[in-house]
Amino acid sequence: MTGEALFNNYPIVPHIWDEMKSNDGIRQQYYSIYETGSQLSLAELEQKHKLASELFMSQGITFTVYSENEGIERIFPFDIIPRIITGSEWNHIEKGIQQRIKALNLFLKDIYNEQEIVKDGVIPADLIASCPHFTREVYGIKVPFDIYVHIAGIDLIRGDDGTFYILEDNLRTPSGVSYMLENREVTKRIFPNLLADNNVRMINNYPLLLHDNLVHLAPRQNANPTVVLLTPGMYNSAYFEHTFLARQMGIQLVEGRDLLVDNQKVFMKTTAGLRQVDVIYRRIDDEFLDPLVFRPDSALGVPGLISAYRKGNVAIVNALGNGVADDKAVYAYVPDMIKYYLNEEIILPNIPTYHMNNDQEREHVFKNMHKMVIKETNQSGGYGMVMGNSATEAAMEKAKENILANPRGFIAQPIIQLSTVPCLIDGKLQPRHVDLRPYSLCGPNGIEVVAGGLTRVALREGSLVVNSSQGGGSKDTWVVDMPNQ
Amino acid sequence: MLSRIADSLYWMHRYMERADGMLRLMKTSYILSFDKVQASGMTWEPALKIFTSLNQEEIAGLKQNNSAALKYLLLDTKNTNSLKVIITRARENARGVQDQITKEVWEQMNLIYHQVNQPGIAEKLSGQDAILIIDAFINSSDQFCGILDSTMPRGQGWNYMNLGKQTERCLLTAEFTHFYFKKTGFDFKNEQDILFWRSLLLALSGYELHLKNYSNQHHNYNVAQQLLFDKNFPRSVYYALDRANKYLSDIAASNPVEGSIQLSRSFGRLYSSVKFADLELVEREGLENYLTYVRKELNEFSRDLGRTYFSYS
Repeated sequence: MTGEALFNNYPIVPHIWDEMKSNDGIRQQYYSIYETGSQLSLAELEQKHKLASELFMSQGITFTVYSENEGIERIFPFDIIPRIITGSEWNHIEKGIQQRIKALNLFLKDIYNEQEIVKDGVIPADLIASCPHFTREVYGIKVPFDIYVHIAGIDLIRGDDGTFYILEDNLRTPSGVSYMLENREVTKRIFPNLLADNNVRMINNYPLLLHDNLVHLAPRQNANPTVVLLTPGMYNSAYFEHTFLARQMGIQLVEGRDLLVDNQKVFMKTTAGLRQVDVIYRRIDDEFLDPLVFRPDSALGVPGLISAYRKGNVAIVNALGNGVADDKAVYAYVPDMIKYYLNEEIILPNIPTYHMNNDQEREHVFKNMHKMVIKETNQSGGYGMVMGNSATEAAMEKAKENILANPRGFIAQPIIQLSTVPCLIDGKLQPRHVDLRPYSLCGPNGIEVVAGGLTRVALREGSLVVNSSQGGGSKDTWVVDMPNQ
Repeated sequence: MLSRIADSLYWMHRYMERADGMLRLMKTSYILSFDKVQASGMTWEPALKIFTSLNQEEIAGLKQNNSAALKYLLLDTKNTNSLKVIITRARENARGVQDQITKEVWEQMNLIYHQVNQPGIAEKLSGQDAILIIDAFINSSDQFCGILDSTMPRGQGWNYMNLGKQTERCLLTAEFTHFYFKKTGFDFKNEQDILFWRSLLLALSGYELHLKNYSNQHHNYNVAQQLLFDKNFPRSVYYALDRANKYLSDIAASNPVEGSIQLSRSFGRLYSSVKFADLELVEREGLENYLTYVRKELNEFSRDLGRTYFSYS
């Protein structure tokens, strides 16, 4: 089949926004993809797909599935057709995310100090108190520049009319940025001319921006502070990303056993003795960081770390306790936070969210369960999610039971039909649902949102679940400045 | 440099060197297995003896069966020294220090790992392609060394890696030598012809050098001289210790921690016992004792090195 036929036969699904094609034909931002793709044969496109997979494999961008003493290497599926966002769409997204992170930072500062927002009745006290990630252990700790959220991966989705919504806030240790960067490198290899011809905005300054921010946080007055990336180790599924970022920033990749705390200062164990550590970019969850304060059985953390943190002798990125701000029930209050702290209207809207501990809202959800998605408030990665339109009766009944047993642990949202993009599957271009995770860096000089982000795609037909743990893949994401905008 | 990183680099290169030594011995064994009357009559015995912990009976069962021996040595995960296990360990070490080795080194490491895990490799080993597979591995191993040499920055990491490599190399040469001389009863007078020594020399990539530089008589003496003391032979015990000595002094100079002086001193004793020795002395003390001493001291050195520089857990 020719590429032209592939593109012309691409079907769009009624009542769903497609990123490439509308009822009037190919959207302007996809013209050059369309033209280039049309000139290639299916075999050539599939060859490019194969080349991309091989590049991921040979670079070890894989995760390992262990069975019977042998590890099997898998790559995260990558689709070669990029997802394109126009410059003006992006500018809107960027403003919305900056506004949101600004408010969330102020919220975290407030909630771990004066708690004005609770005292003023904007957010109910029991909502905070019942949040499993509200971390009393860090109450009152001062953090450099009052920044709590240094790195955010806020998920967006696009509804049937093309509106971008905020799906969830990831403010703890969001992952996937290495895929954003590597996807682009792979695209450079398989479609070298397209990127230059399209004026695609650059993303590869991410590690430099991050490194710059990390260095600024150093508590010691030192021209060359020691910044480290703390990883749980090579069996972690995001380990590739940890090594990737450490390498790109030129910082040490350390494990918990490489560090120790002495006299409320953090040191790493080197062949030449101990060396003080100033900034830790940790990719370990709060509860594993310090066995003396959190889980005593954690072998990944560093005993005494929190004492050094409280004393201000070490900066930790992201701050501890951020989970209270990306809790799925607290999410519903972000528009109120923006109003309260910034006196602004929200730029990127939330999805309507029903609290299951409110009797009326729960009744409403139970009646309309087939139109709802049920989520656990403290879960991520697509775990603990029930999609009302596809779940079995038994699963729905089970979900109801679970909700009644622990109403605070769940929220419900109306199912939004995510937008679709073309993917090369089984020799055809087929529409698949996507979300978008832009990565934002918050430092003393402001908030930078790197243009693009990670587009995650649900590779199963009709599926709305994009998480890599649930059969999702990814795409390179372009922000393209259109000449006439 | 983090102690954990130094540890991993040391072991990464040790494992790679072991894989390399094993592959060369296997290639020699494989090719010699086709000669109808083999001079030494040993076929797979040296490889199985040196690289596995099988007992005499099990070795006897495998040593005349090319594909079974190959599979056990290369792929069997029950054999803790099989190529597959060694490569997996080397890669695990490399993975843990991915930010400290260059991207090129990591990609080569990965390539070898995928090579040993390629689908259908077991079937290929039973057929005509076996030698191609071994050759491809040797080739990849050579490339690994070349890529290290041309991309890795010189410095701490380089020193630890190469110390590991030379330690392993010295041990391998000592072990191979020990095995073959044992067949002669460690007796220099018990003259063997060059066909007996050829497989040992080929396995250590030293056959050509031997033909060029050594006379065609007193093979036992000549082989011992080359493998122990030849300054120009990159797999001689002396050469490996001499290189190791250089890397160790660089390490000691930049890491003045407790114990580093003692470590240098004890290594120096071992190094001198090779540098200032000759065959006359070895013959007087007994080759077996001498080789055992070198191996024992080197193993102790490796343990003390870990205690001095790698103690992080």
